[in-house]
Amino acid sequence: MDRGMILFIGVLLTFTSSWLGLVLFPFWQLQNQPAFQTSPEEEPYPRPLQGLAWTGMKVYQKNGCMYCHSQQIRSERFGNWWEDPTGIMRTGGDIRRGWGTRRNVPRDYIYDSPTMLGTMRTGPDLANIGSRYSATWQHIHTYNPRALNSWSIMPSFAFMYRKERIVGSRSEKALPLGREWTVRPGYRWRPSPNEWAAILQQSGDQIKARFLRESGQPISDWTTPETQQQLLEFWLATPEEDWQILPTEEAEALVAYLLSLRKAEYPLPEAKE
Amino acid sequence: MAVTILARDHLRLQAAQERVTIDRSCRGPVLAFSATALFWLLVGSLLALLASLKLHSPYFLTGSAIWTFGRVRMAHLQAVALGWSSLAAMAACLWLMCRLARVELIYPRMLYLACALWNVATTLAVAGILLGDGTSVEWLDAPTYAHPFFVAGVGLVTAWVVATFRRRREAHVYVTQWYILAAVFWFPWLYTVATLMIFWIPATGVIQPVVNWWFNHNFLGLWLTPIGVGTAYYIIPKILGRPIHSYYLSITGFWALALFYSWAGIHHLIGGPIPAWLATASTVGSMMMFIPVIAVAINHHMTMIGHFHRLKYSPALRFTVFGAIAYTAVSFQGSIESLKDFSEVAHFTHYTVGHAHLGAYGFVAMIFFGLYYYMIPRLTGREWYSSKLIRLHFWCSAVGITLYFTALSIGGWWQGRMLNNPNVPFANIIMYIQPYLALRSVAGTMMTIGHIAFAILFIINLAGWGRQRSGGPTLFAQPPQLTPSELPKADSLMNAPVTQLQP
Amino acid sequence: MESVDIAVLLTVFGSILCFGSAAVLALSWAFRNGQFDNFQRGALSIFDADEPVGEPTDFFPDHRPITPAHDPQHEAIQGE
Repeated sequence: MDRGMILFIGVLLTFTSSWLGLVLFPFWQLQNQPAFQTSPEEEPYPRPLQGLAWTGMKVYQKNGCMYCHSQQIRSERFGNWWEDPTGIMRTGGDIRRGWGTRRNVPRDYIYDSPTMLGTMRTGPDLANIGSRYSATWQHIHTYNPRALNSWSIMPSFAFMYRKERIVGSRSEKALPLGREWTVRPGYRWRPSPNEWAAILQQSGDQIKARFLRESGQPISDWTTPETQQQLLEFWLATPEEDWQILPTEEAEALVAYLLSLRKAEYPLPEAKE
Repeated sequence: MAVTILARDHLRLQAAQERVTIDRSCRGPVLAFSATALFWLLVGSLLALLASLKLHSPYFLTGSAIWTFGRVRMAHLQAVALGWSSLAAMAACLWLMCRLARVELIYPRMLYLACALWNVATTLAVAGILLGDGTSVEWLDAPTYAHPFFVAGVGLVTAWVVATFRRRREAHVYVTQWYILAAVFWFPWLYTVATLMIFWIPATGVIQPVVNWWFNHNFLGLWLTPIGVGTAYYIIPKILGRPIHSYYLSITGFWALALFYSWAGIHHLIGGPIPAWLATASTVGSMMMFIPVIAVAINHHMTMIGHFHRLKYSPALRFTVFGAIAYTAVSFQGSIESLKDFSEVAHFTHYTVGHAHLGAYGFVAMIFFGLYYYMIPRLTGREWYSSKLIRLHFWCSAVGITLYFTALSIGGWWQGRMLNNPNVPFANIIMYIQPYLALRSVAGTMMTIGHIAFAILFIINLAGWGRQRSGGPTLFAQPPQLTPSELPKADSLMNAPVTQLQP
Repeated sequence: MESVDIAVLLTVFGSILCFGSAAVLALSWAFRNGQFDNFQRGALSIFDADEPVGEPTDFFPDHRPITPAHDPQHEAIQGE
């Protein structure tokens, strides 16, 4: 036989062995796993993503969210190396952090494609994020995470929101955010001292009146640095009068997807420890 | 006496001519692969820097979909892994295969086509991802429309490497050729099978990440590693003028790598929702990797023993030896990292990112830098323009990757310890890791400066603005007995018609 | 024994068979072809008359001796 052919076969076979063992066999073992149902009347778990949530999965996918967020809750017995107050080494950090109530198993993912398990936790795990936060929270957090967590290093996805002039009354979908987050979408805005002075000149009395009404704090001297600072912070926390931030379809879809993520909620028999 | 000297000189001249002819035949295609690889290295470096900065300064360039972290990170990986590393690896395959088989390159046009296809694929991948077609499948983020171009490009290279191998004039198959042949078979299969099972006929649920990690690990293990190790097996002995320490070990190492590396990938899913035996099988594969790694380590380092002073004189050797040392280090680290106790901490952290860069940059990129410094002057017939720039490149890259690795290893380890402890609030982990992420940006800036120096050197060399090579050891040694008038000038050899050079 | 177990066994034995036959085939070719006859010769196949063992072939542009004889380390290498 030809020499090159022998090398070819050798290389082919070594490689094929790993493909058989690591790919084909698990493929065979798990490919046709059915959804779980205790009785025919009950809704099977899991169910395929549909409509807006499916579109949202695509948004999650194309923006690479999974490069910071995993979607897998690990076992109660996984992850040693932390000590409880009594000095005993404990496991199961994922579940104890409240990221999910049980570990994930292959069946949780049978309708996922692509299956974004993730390999990095720069941010927290999202397998069960749908049961942790509301839609409003998700919208604000997606628009600018630092509006909720000052320490967050997550990117702002303000480009998925549009800033619109209010016609008539404010939309129900408008994000409930103060002007410091909405004047420059994606950033945290502060007026320069001159701008602030001009604003005070123009509508200072209204702001002060509103401050007194809403905080219930009696302030007699408006000239001290502390009260000036208080007034600025108050004003920054109030929404812009003429403008509102509305989610685009992409943002609505993404939030629908996040809310649908409940991968560690429904009890599965094989997920028991 | 005089007769023997002349006979020896004649042999020497003949050997030199043969080598120059071969190098000249490779010039066009190999330079095309090398130059475009370097272009993608620069693109990849800038994307990397951007992603790194955004991770500790989230307000930097915020508000644009194209430059959002997730997309930039995916684009960076495609630019450096498929653009830079793979194109450089293919350049290495082509040139080394010609030299080791002692035959000229044939059908260069086919290779220009391969290079063009691969570059079209990489452009589609990087631009597609930034514009919102990324797939979020690690290492396979390229949009599906890039796949056929990648497969066609590497397919042509494989066909060409096999054709060259079959035309070989050198009877002995050197260990580098084993590695190259194996790699050019493995990679097209690997890529085709992985993309088929994930995108074209998607497998169910968790099978996808299993196939994904089998691919990812083998991308490094069965594509870049064999070519990198093979290159070092040629460059180190060739520069030192010293055969490798144990040729027997090198062949053993090759087969051990082929057997065990392909099994190692699934430990990246340790603790995840996959059958436990898969991760265990991979841990075994990872531990067995000690065998080929030790074989290669003994060979590379024992060949160097007693010759470390050469690092001072040879730019190519510096990079290559750095790469060889990084290979030993990263492989030992990888085997240990696959152990369950260790992985429970390091998984899901920046520790793994540090490890990946020690492999892909400290080992693979440094070996290819070494290859460039050795190969390019022999292809163009021109000397490198500036030793200072070469030194700048080396120190920026070496210090840069060391700082990168150290920062992320320390930061990542403690990040993992804190993640495992539910009593540590998530905010604390984010605040803890940020100085390390900032250090990574410093390291990345250094590496990018090195790459710019490298690109300047490369462009000057290619454009011919620098000095011409005139004999000297880098092209071929001058037989000292011949008088200058009898000596063929290096550039005259490079530009002479082929028939004139045939002995 | 369930079908899953049979599959595990088949995969394991299949792999061993693949590993084994690959190694045997490749090694037997290598032996017949004389690749293992003389390892030193194999290691020397990358050198030629112009770049023989004992002559370094790469230097910084400004650090290049004209002939090997000018290289301070030349004697040492020759001595090996």
